[in-house]
Amino acid sequence: MKKSDRITGVVLLAAIALVLGAWLVVHRTRGTVAVIRVNGAVVATVDLKQREPQTLHLQGMLGPMVIVADGKGSIRVTESTCPDQICVHTAPAHSPGDQIICVPNRMVLTIDGAGGKVDAVAH
Amino acid sequence: MKRIRTIAAILVIIGAGAAAFAALRSAPNPVSSTYFLMDTVLTITTTGSNATSINEHLYSLALGVDDMTSYYKAGSETSKVNAAAGKGAVPVSPAYAELLKTAVAVEAIDHGKTFDIAISPVSSLWGFTTKNFRVPSASEISTALLYSGSDELAVTASTAQLRDARARIDLGGIAKGYSLDVMEAYLRTVKPQPRQVVVDFGGNLLLYSGGTKTDWKIGIQDPRGPGIIGYVVSGDAFVATSGDYERYFESNGKRYCHIIDPSSGYPAQLNQSVTLITKLQPMRGAFGDALGKSFFCSTADRQRTLFDAVQSQGVTGAVIVDATGKRTTLGPIALVPEAAP
Repeated sequence: MKKSDRITGVVLLAAIALVLGAWLVVHRTRGTVAVIRVNGAVVATVDLKQREPQTLHLQGMLGPMVIVADGKGSIRVTESTCPDQICVHTAPAHSPGDQIICVPNRMVLTIDGAGGKVDAVAH
Repeated sequence: MKRIRTIAAILVIIGAGAAAFAALRSAPNPVSSTYFLMDTVLTITTTGSNATSINEHLYSLALGVDDMTSYYKAGSETSKVNAAAGKGAVPVSPAYAELLKTAVAVEAIDHGKTFDIAISPVSSLWGFTTKNFRVPSASEISTALLYSGSDELAVTASTAQLRDARARIDLGGIAKGYSLDVMEAYLRTVKPQPRQVVVDFGGNLLLYSGGTKTDWKIGIQDPRGPGIIGYVVSGDAFVATSGDYERYFESNGKRYCHIIDPSSGYPAQLNQSVTLITKLQPMRGAFGDALGKSFFCSTADRQRTLFDAVQSQGVTGAVIVDATGKRTTLGPIALVPEAAP
């Protein structure tokens, strides 16, 4: 193998690594932040990459709510003062586009990012 | 010399990649707006010019439908019809009469056994209108069933009438889908056309691109777990889902969902979720929303018969998860399983 081929190979590998690295960075940062809004205002953002479980106590329009991130990438409502408990029944959110909603508390939790695999979820 | 050429070529490739990446990022950003309406959430996401004002206008249209159909608002046409129960016919708007007729048309497919807007006195017994949930006695249910049902309802092009003074109608099972019809009709008139609009109204979807997008991926929520069970691919469509997994209450360890089977007066138990896909044609949003409840209250055999009966009426596909978790699709669609994340 000629020296020039080796240099070309190294440059090529470096280029591939650079593009791959950039792609990974862009895609990894998506879908990992839960944004919690009450009545339209952001009251908390939760980094779902955190390995430690986190418990949030927040005030909805109706009363207190408890939201738990499990430290494994999922987040769910565990307690709410609302009468119908739809938010507590909703499956944990973990992927971009997932939503948990409490209408009486005017609470909307969304997983941010455009990295979802589908255009919309029928639920 | 050769080496320089190769390195130059590589640099060009990197540059092209970066340019493509930048172009991708500068594509018009979707504008997403969230509203609370009809005891649920309306999320509108528009990509294209004037996205914010389109979202606001779509919301105002949904608000108008709520003002017309609400069971709770005193000035709604539903409230007027209910208040006049047993007293005679009341005048209604042509739009309201058309909506009632669509509801009656869905009821007629199965003779009111699986969908009925006049089942509301029975739903009220279970507390789904007041959220004071309870399990009523069998005799309460059989008594309420005597004056619940579309036999009590008479509709003309300009009037509606409930014969029994205790009868009530509730359009909660069709109003969200109808709102999507009204929104779709407006979107067709917008100039310039938005690139695409996704409306999620409490799980009922409108997927609109003016016919340019043929590969919408519609995720189907897993009724018993986080995430989706897979997706189906469709062109522009209305998508209506009826499920037992968000609106329900539990009593003595038993789950009672909000969809009442009009033939028994008890919450439906045969299925976990039904998703119906209908074409963007007039009133197909309302039709699919109502028809989803029919499927939800039906056995697998009955669902196949129903599907054959409605395929010529703009229904393009159904995804069903029955009470045991078994998944079925009807029509020319395939459920693409979702790999674990």
